[in-house]
Amino acid sequence: MSADHQTSGLGFVGQSVKRVEDQRLLTGNGRYVADINPPGVLHAAFVRSPFPHATIDRINVSAARRAPGVVAVMTAAEINAITNPFPPFLMLDGMYTPLFWALSDDRVRHIGDPVALVLAESRHLAEDAAELVEVDYTALEPVASIADALRPTSRQVWPKADGNLLYDSSTEYGDVDAVFAAADRVITERLSCQRQSNQPMETRGTVIEVDPRTGHLTVHSATQTSHVLRWVLAALTEKRSMGSSIAAFARNKDRRTAFIAGARSFMATNKDSLGNQDNSGARSQFRKDRSFPIHMQRIGLGLLAKDDYPTVLAQDIGGGFGAKGSVHREDVALAAAAIALGRSVKWIEDRVENLTDGGHAREEDLTVSIAVDHDGTMRGLKVDLIVDQGAYPGFPVGAGFTTQIMQVMFPGSYRFEAFGMRSRVVATNKGKYVAYRGPWANETWARERMVDIVARALRMSPVEVRLRNMIGESEMPTHMITGPTIDETMSVRKTLERALQVVDLDAFERERAEAAEQGRHLGIGFACYHEAAPGPPDYMDSVNAGSDALTAEVARATIEADGSVVVYTSQMPHGQSHETTYSQVAADELGVSIDDVKVVWGDTRRTPFSLIGTGGSRGGPLGGGAIKRSSREVRRMLIEEAARMLEASVDDIEIVGGNIHVAGVPSRGLTFAEVAGAVTATDPSAHPFDATVTYNGKGDGGWSCATHVCFVDIDLDTGKVAIPRYVVVEDCGPIINPAIVDGQVRGGVAQGIGAVLYESSIYDESANLQATTYMDYLIPTTMEIPDIEIHHIETLSPGENDFRGVGEGGMIGAPAAITNAIEDALAGRGARVTTQYLPPTTILELAGVIRPD
Amino acid sequence: MKIPAFSYHRPESLDEALGLLRDHGDDAKVLAGGQSLLPIMALRLGRPEHLIDIGRLPGLASITVDGRGKVIIGALVRHAAAEGSTDIAGHAPLVSEALPHVGHTAIRTRGTVCGSIAHADPAAELPAVALATDAIMVAESSDGVRHIRASDFFEGYLQTALRPDELLTEVRFPPWPDNTGAAVSEVSRRHGDFAMMGVACTISVADEITAAALSFFGADSIPIRATEAEQSLVGRQPDGDAFDDAAKIVMSTLQPGADLHASAAHRRHLAGVVTRRALAEATSRIGAMA
Repeated sequence: MSADHQTSGLGFVGQSVKRVEDQRLLTGNGRYVADINPPGVLHAAFVRSPFPHATIDRINVSAARRAPGVVAVMTAAEINAITNPFPPFLMLDGMYTPLFWALSDDRVRHIGDPVALVLAESRHLAEDAAELVEVDYTALEPVASIADALRPTSRQVWPKADGNLLYDSSTEYGDVDAVFAAADRVITERLSCQRQSNQPMETRGTVIEVDPRTGHLTVHSATQTSHVLRWVLAALTEKRSMGSSIAAFARNKDRRTAFIAGARSFMATNKDSLGNQDNSGARSQFRKDRSFPIHMQRIGLGLLAKDDYPTVLAQDIGGGFGAKGSVHREDVALAAAAIALGRSVKWIEDRVENLTDGGHAREEDLTVSIAVDHDGTMRGLKVDLIVDQGAYPGFPVGAGFTTQIMQVMFPGSYRFEAFGMRSRVVATNKGKYVAYRGPWANETWARERMVDIVARALRMSPVEVRLRNMIGESEMPTHMITGPTIDETMSVRKTLERALQVVDLDAFERERAEAAEQGRHLGIGFACYHEAAPGPPDYMDSVNAGSDALTAEVARATIEADGSVVVYTSQMPHGQSHETTYSQVAADELGVSIDDVKVVWGDTRRTPFSLIGTGGSRGGPLGGGAIKRSSREVRRMLIEEAARMLEASVDDIEIVGGNIHVAGVPSRGLTFAEVAGAVTATDPSAHPFDATVTYNGKGDGGWSCATHVCFVDIDLDTGKVAIPRYVVVEDCGPIINPAIVDGQVRGGVAQGIGAVLYESSIYDESANLQATTYMDYLIPTTMEIPDIEIHHIETLSPGENDFRGVGEGGMIGAPAAITNAIEDALAGRGARVTTQYLPPTTILELAGVIRPD
Repeated sequence: MKIPAFSYHRPESLDEALGLLRDHGDDAKVLAGGQSLLPIMALRLGRPEHLIDIGRLPGLASITVDGRGKVIIGALVRHAAAEGSTDIAGHAPLVSEALPHVGHTAIRTRGTVCGSIAHADPAAELPAVALATDAIMVAESSDGVRHIRASDFFEGYLQTALRPDELLTEVRFPPWPDNTGAAVSEVSRRHGDFAMMGVACTISVADEITAAALSFFGADSIPIRATEAEQSLVGRQPDGDAFDDAAKIVMSTLQPGADLHASAAHRRHLAGVVTRRALAEATSRIGAMA
């Protein structure tokens, strides 16, 4: 046991133990995908469209093929011939999700759309040759904005869709018209959020090794979801006739048996949710695209027939923020190229590619109406949401599913008598839409912005309006009007009340008055939210009937013959410190040091299957819950054997510091190795103790909550916004590692500051992307991020597993708190903040210092 | 974002370097710190066939002050070295004022003063400093030496009076006048970014303002002096009224454009702000420098 990791006897959970990852990562010994260099690997560069919207008339690759060091130049003609299109997934009733291919063949749909793949002896040579690929394009009218997309005459991005409106759905909870008619006033505002980009420090990257003897693919990738990547690559690279698939499946008895067993197990695990499965989405998809069922069946049968699925290995990853939760078109093109050439291939995305096609998010317009009484009681809520999905949906989760989460979460922590929401998704000629840390976060931004707008209209304080409408403990349990249960873990009110103790509003008002005399403009902004991390048992079904299966998380724990503890997770750490926190959880369950625990992740041969990987703040609650349960199970097995050896009852056995003994008799204890050795002594082939547990959080789940308070000091000479103080009061239940939780909160707030003050993936009116380098896409640095003051409340959940998620919350709360503070600072000048992005020019325009050009 | 192939030359003497420039001129670029050139090449926005790395040339890394107080900065003087130079702080204080604004520490550790001036980014600080102080650029070629005044040096966006066969071997800052203060004021989106608007300013006061320089960066396609505003200050007391009047003239004469980071109106507004701030700051420094 090292000095860093002494336990006080109270266990490791709850302590800021040092990250076990740091020795490796901070000394430059991380192993990232760019560090993988198989012998003879070919380096890839993609030829990408310089047009936002155009037909591809002709591609001439002959000059590129002759260029030095080039081994192959492949276009859609070669790649798509041996791959299947990306199929729609999580289909929603009425939603059109286009089928799309690894490379574009007849049409490009955004700047950076990949049309060819060059493989050469170095990335330099590949880029040189990529410039020699001649593509004749005929430009088409671009669809550059939501307004363009909704114009009936605009050119269709997807010809099989109904115009560029891919989804249009309305839902009402309660009698919206009656409540709006009965309320004293209705306050409406149109809010809009700019396109942003996730921007991990490490760009995307994939290396595919081909075993020359067997053709087996080993895929190293910066992915948040190694199993999904494995299955999607298996599915999309198996292109064969359905008849041949059926014949192959029928011939392969092992595969058949394994499939049936797997299907039975999945159905048994997810019986309830499968019964609720809603197939209307698939039906509406079929109505729009008749080729859809053919591709789906071909893919499904191909998966059954396929002998050998790729192995995915993912190790250290430099961030993702959701963008690496998608399987990307480039991955499929690379796998197809590796198969076709029988050579290993490597692609490390550069920053221009990443800003262009690595994933965009959050470009949404929201018209929000709140029906309110004069006393500040908010009674009704109406939302009209339009999402600019860009050209291609993220796979497997596009914008449609995100609108469902936004809908369920929109009312937030407030009582509403009625809520109506219309959600639309449009296609434009922009980069693809992916999940970005709290993908639904604009519900919090828009709602919390509106609460302030309501307060100002009623001449009330924003805090007073929040307190008047916010559900409190005395009302629990209750339900959100959209369905999910509100129990005591929805502690938003407690976080707000604590925040009001932490920040002295009277002192702030005095300071504001003094500053005003010096010509400085101070403001304060609050934002409150709860998020499903993982949410109550009825949460996922409120979002989308049947999607509950997505919460299941499997973990495995073993005790090896040498007594070491190994836990296997399907989580895909990429900055969240899972190795440390899972070691803490397993160590406490087993009574050992965290140094005795090894965490295995990212290797699809060894880790349990997951439909998600890392995302949705699930690492703590679901991943951690599964680790806890599998560790507990393996402890039970260990104690059973130890009790036999010690001739004692299992109830009398305890484990302290790795010593297994009868309570009160530590001197006659056994080590893990001795007990494990006893098993292998009788049967050397036995795996001493081995437990795999599925955990879906049901009954144990709950909400993560926070109140953010942002203070701003605005310089109306320059338009620059300083943040002298930023306070977060958060409640994610009992904390596994406070330092790591604080790091997650701070990182999220930093991205929220970026969202409001710096970051914009802006396109011009012709759909040309303007921000393709870090000169133009500005990310806040340490110089722009203030100290962030964090206070914790640790509300227990009614269930047995108390861990709740915290990865996304910082980013969910920050944009609302910051924009509210800015409006507060400029309210005296009549400013109304309706955009999330507030660069200095906009600040001065809002304050009336300058006029728009 | 990989740099396309080029021929790399690393001359050991100035003559050899000038010979290479004579032979390859139009197709060659001089490599010193590489902080602007290499990203441009990686983005494939520029693709010189020859890079002439002057890093080994002897005698170009010195900062000297001559007997009359003229400061001479050689082609291989890094920003960081200039930033730490007491000679520059004492005799060319406007340069010292500007350097902390140039990029970040890592950039200043490699980037050179002369490289920044030769690159002539209109949003960069040092070209504006050269213009404000009437610096002399020393251009050497195998044909001889030319001394180019700053006012003749900057010709257009990233374009200077340097001929393709010439190397900027040094920049000379004239002796610092008595009773003169210096300040650089700029506003950028983030710490270390190119300025949305900035000014390099000097002001000389003896009972009243005797001279002033207001040299703007981020305002046009080249660094630009606000001569009308400068003249308006001469003969007046160095006070807020005079500075406000100068700022008004600046705002009415500069015609900055819009880009992603600031609108034209915002830039015009900032020109007034940095004028007032720089003049006040420069005035407050007069005593400190005496």
